[in-house]
Amino acid sequence: MMTRLPEPAGLLLDRTEQVSFRFEGRQFQGYRGDTVASALAANDVSVLSRSFKYHRPRGIHSLSGLDANTLVQVGPAPNRFADREPLVPDLEVTGQNYWGTLRHDRLAVFGLLHRFFPVGFYYKAFYKPRWTWPLWAKMIRRIAGLGTVDTNAPHGYFDKQYLFCDVLVVGGGAAGLAAASQAAAAGAEVILVDENAALGGGLLYGRADAGGIRAEEERARLVGDVEGSDRISVMTETACLGRYADNWLPLVRGNRLYKLRTKALVVATGSLEQPLVFRNNDLPGVMLSSAAQRLIKLYGVKPGRRAVVATADDEGYGAALDLLDAGVEVAAVVDLRMDAPRTAMGDTLAARRVPVHAASAPWEAVAQRKGAGVARVRVARIEEDGVCAPSVDSFSCDLLVVSGGHAPAAALLRQAGAIFTYDSDRHATTVAELPSDVFAAGDVAGTSGLDAAMADGRRTGWQAAQAAGLDVGPEPAAPAEEEPAAAQAAWPIFAHPDHKAFVDLDEDVQVHDLEDAIAEGYDHVELLKRFTTNGMGPSQGRHSSLNAVRILARAKSRSVDETGVTTVRQPIVPVTMGHLAGRSFEPVRYTAMHFRHLEAGATMMPAGLWLRPEFYGDKARRQALIGEEAKNVRDNVGIIDVSTLGGLDVRGPDAAEFMNRMYTFAYLKQPVGRSRYVLMTDLGGVVVDDGVACRMHEDHFYVTATTSGVDNVYREMLWYNAQWRLKVDVTNVTAALAGVNIAGPNCRPVLETLCDDVDLSPEGFPYMGVREGHVAGIPTIFLRVGFVGELGYELHVPASQGEALWDALMEAGKNHGIRPFGVEAQRLLRLEKGHILIGQDTDGLTTPHEADMAWALAKKKPFHVGIRSVRMQAAKGLTRKLVGFEMPGVGVEQPKECHLVIRGGEITGRVTSVAYSPNLDKIVGLAYVAPDQSEPGTKIEIRVDGARMVNATVAKIPFFDPDGARQEL
Amino acid sequence: MAIPAEERRRSPLYRALEAHGARFEALGGYSVASDFGREAAADAAQAGSLGLADLTPFPRIGFKGWNIAPWLAGNGAEMGEASNGAYRQADGTRIARLAPGEALVLADRGGAGPLIETLDGAWSMAEADGCFRVRRDETSCWLLLTGAHAPSMLAKVCAVDLRPQVFTPDAIAQTNVARLNVIVIRGDLGPVPAYDLITDLASAVYLWGALLDAMAEYDGAPVGLAAIRALLGGGEASS
Repeated sequence: MMTRLPEPAGLLLDRTEQVSFRFEGRQFQGYRGDTVASALAANDVSVLSRSFKYHRPRGIHSLSGLDANTLVQVGPAPNRFADREPLVPDLEVTGQNYWGTLRHDRLAVFGLLHRFFPVGFYYKAFYKPRWTWPLWAKMIRRIAGLGTVDTNAPHGYFDKQYLFCDVLVVGGGAAGLAAASQAAAAGAEVILVDENAALGGGLLYGRADAGGIRAEEERARLVGDVEGSDRISVMTETACLGRYADNWLPLVRGNRLYKLRTKALVVATGSLEQPLVFRNNDLPGVMLSSAAQRLIKLYGVKPGRRAVVATADDEGYGAALDLLDAGVEVAAVVDLRMDAPRTAMGDTLAARRVPVHAASAPWEAVAQRKGAGVARVRVARIEEDGVCAPSVDSFSCDLLVVSGGHAPAAALLRQAGAIFTYDSDRHATTVAELPSDVFAAGDVAGTSGLDAAMADGRRTGWQAAQAAGLDVGPEPAAPAEEEPAAAQAAWPIFAHPDHKAFVDLDEDVQVHDLEDAIAEGYDHVELLKRFTTNGMGPSQGRHSSLNAVRILARAKSRSVDETGVTTVRQPIVPVTMGHLAGRSFEPVRYTAMHFRHLEAGATMMPAGLWLRPEFYGDKARRQALIGEEAKNVRDNVGIIDVSTLGGLDVRGPDAAEFMNRMYTFAYLKQPVGRSRYVLMTDLGGVVVDDGVACRMHEDHFYVTATTSGVDNVYREMLWYNAQWRLKVDVTNVTAALAGVNIAGPNCRPVLETLCDDVDLSPEGFPYMGVREGHVAGIPTIFLRVGFVGELGYELHVPASQGEALWDALMEAGKNHGIRPFGVEAQRLLRLEKGHILIGQDTDGLTTPHEADMAWALAKKKPFHVGIRSVRMQAAKGLTRKLVGFEMPGVGVEQPKECHLVIRGGEITGRVTSVAYSPNLDKIVGLAYVAPDQSEPGTKIEIRVDGARMVNATVAKIPFFDPDGARQEL
Repeated sequence: MAIPAEERRRSPLYRALEAHGARFEALGGYSVASDFGREAAADAAQAGSLGLADLTPFPRIGFKGWNIAPWLAGNGAEMGEASNGAYRQADGTRIARLAPGEALVLADRGGAGPLIETLDGAWSMAEADGCFRVRRDETSCWLLLTGAHAPSMLAKVCAVDLRPQVFTPDAIAQTNVARLNVIVIRGDLGPVPAYDLITDLASAVYLWGALLDAMAEYDGAPVGLAAIRALLGGGEASS
């Protein structure tokens, strides 16, 4: 029976604020400061979950947010630790992993059938005959699954932040607090991290002296020192997920993942109280002594009416005194040790008439006949390690508090490369070796006792500040020699002939499971872990690994050190996908005219990081609008935003030589004021980019590149320039220039109304010419190019004036039927002209000869990047060739890009571009075909959707205006 | 009041500024946000706490090449040998040395840059001699992040340690902010920490949104020239 205790119990509670919540459909009340688990305990709810394999009822075990016993579903979030989940109003909480109700789980029948589910049974069953596995998998997933993921849950806002400090202290107990203060006093900037809501660690709930007052006094003093320092930043309710190279540590607090870099690390994570292993050690009402003390001190919950305390060291004595102070009757203290020393706490217990049974162990916890909790405990005298005498004493109780000794919370240290040894005299693990910038303080380092922990903290804080490069003062005085703490009991494991002595509560792994696995040959710690799943649950072996290693060591007659431990990987504690994803940064680039496109009703499409107009107008009329836009270019005048095209300035006395080496054509003699096509190949002779080079000055080329290729081209240019050491500078000016292609038979009169300093006549400004002048007063580079096959000018202007240029052109073109066109119309127009798109009509293997671009190769120059490969390919001959093809405009199924060209059952190529041309009233496209299929007039077959074959004819390109008369008007 | 869309030169952020209620003043063919309708004291307090200003309209010019140092020195611009430092000039402009062969000249906090005009006028392709002009006013947007919360807020979007005690005045980090390549320059406004952020002009709208989102936690908001002037102690344009 659990009830609330009056103040001062309940350190974390704000009793002025009641909080309502629901668990399993029932309404409950708690206080602000409660966790879900503590509030349920205060309402005498003892069963929180069902176990993973046998569906046994489970309640509070460690109350430290580590074990699967408290996993619950909180709203849409599954697998939340109820003992870490803060209680907030109107929380909707349910249990997990049951069929029926939490109290009456039909799947609990597995507990009766346990003989049919030996360890590793799923490795040995279900796979024969093979076809049965999908059926089993479905059933096992339903039975063994934990919570339910709500895929419709709204996205939370998660983000990340970087942190830096001289010294990071992980753990806000006595040692950590002392270390932080000492490091700060030495001049270090310190961050102190603790996973709990308040600083103090074990001082918050543990008992440091028989009188029960020292822990709080020391805590107040240590916390006061920390809070009084302006060099210490405190982060409570913060989990450290791990330690990575160079002291990089991820932390989680709330919805934020912190990425912290520290010069020195102090690990003061304390130790983990270990369970005792005996029959029915998993019943609700069996809990660690620290859990009972947390319930009392932190949450003001009386954990039971009548208790038995079983302990492997002095810890249980303090718990017994705390239980007495909380009004719990303590029927007995059972001490596993053969030679427990006399202590002040022991004397106090004796004075309070609590019998102590030395050299004894809980042999079995007996469940209530009705209900899930403990009814009584059978205690037996220990004859030797793990073996008890047949006669037993029985104590009725509703609470069994256990303490099986301590193991260091060493995950961070192990990840840092620390080496631990097992002290076979004290039956405890201690740190033996640490990296130079990592320090261990307090219990995690193997110290024991409050004074030793504080002294250790001061020493490591000073050392950490020194390791951080600070000019520290003299080393703090070493602590006075203390009497070493008494050894823990050697063997806290008591197997029972009727089983149900659990080593790992998370995974329902029993003592005999481990013994059976070892007997089968799984006698390495890593094999044993994987075969039995011991340590693979949420607590990741914190409460089970040491005992499993002890069992393995004994079975193989090896020491614990020789047996070893399993690897402790990051993250140490569960972390949500939201934390890992964080806030995603998705850069997007807008051209200067971006918002004009939106205002004109454009549908935008991604092009690399850019957004470009796909077409303008009603999406329902997409195809018709694309056709209309293309037709308007052919008939009137259209403008398209080409700002996304790459732009590179190549400048210097060796600029022409540099261009000659980078591209396949010849540029040494290119006149100023003219542009020339550029084709780039890589070292393998593969086509990687194209564009035009405008010679603006004897020493200056303005080079365009493809939208998605410019960054690579720029990188390649820098790479080669660094090797060639030519007198050249390369600057990426892509964003600096907005670009508009104004094209169509009416484009010249539109431009003439806005431009008075460039002769736009065919004679004054011929095709492929380059000029500098002004449009609407805006400084402009004019390029006469013909990508869409019409009279056209590319106007490149300072980006800041791109929108003004667009506005001026639209206004000036009103009387000429000007209309913007998008990428889709441009693709159609260029396809009619047979112009290839790098990346669409080429792939990672396309050579210039395959792409029918031998015309772009300078024949006489000695070098360009990839020239040797290109010449070898030419000598070797083609295996495929890019050709144009056409089909009737009606009555045939139009192929799609990547549909295959097939001949006699063999693939000879694929379609790279295809569209219906309203101007030509036929389907036109580009495709790779076998070389002997490349002659115009050759019939080819293309396999379309549904494996149907359609006929097409290889055609000469350009399909439209083959003489180029329109673009050279 | 100046109207951005009536100017020939337009910051890519002018719509975003208008959406926040900016009032504009004219500057060098641009409209630049003057304030956002707050009282003067509140405006200065905002900038002192956490503010983001669009300085894209401010003059700036870059130079690249193997011969930038002597060319700049020959035209009255002095900078130190060390890269990743900003060097203050007599007229209030700063020269950010990004590499041995790359420099960026920034106008003062009032948007004036006599040295920039001088350098721009002196440069020609014909006489470049290994020092090439880069139109940084067109390649890059320029944001100014101000206020006591700026270092914490930057830690949400940048992995470099930009805390004031580490990233000292006039220090430069060429780094990644919200997945963009950004030049970060420490350039305080009097006692108020401030960071110039210079990045790809085409990504200005994205970065503006990403920063404001990260600033929301600290109640950060856009600020204009008035707030900058106030922090500098009046209407003087100085750095």
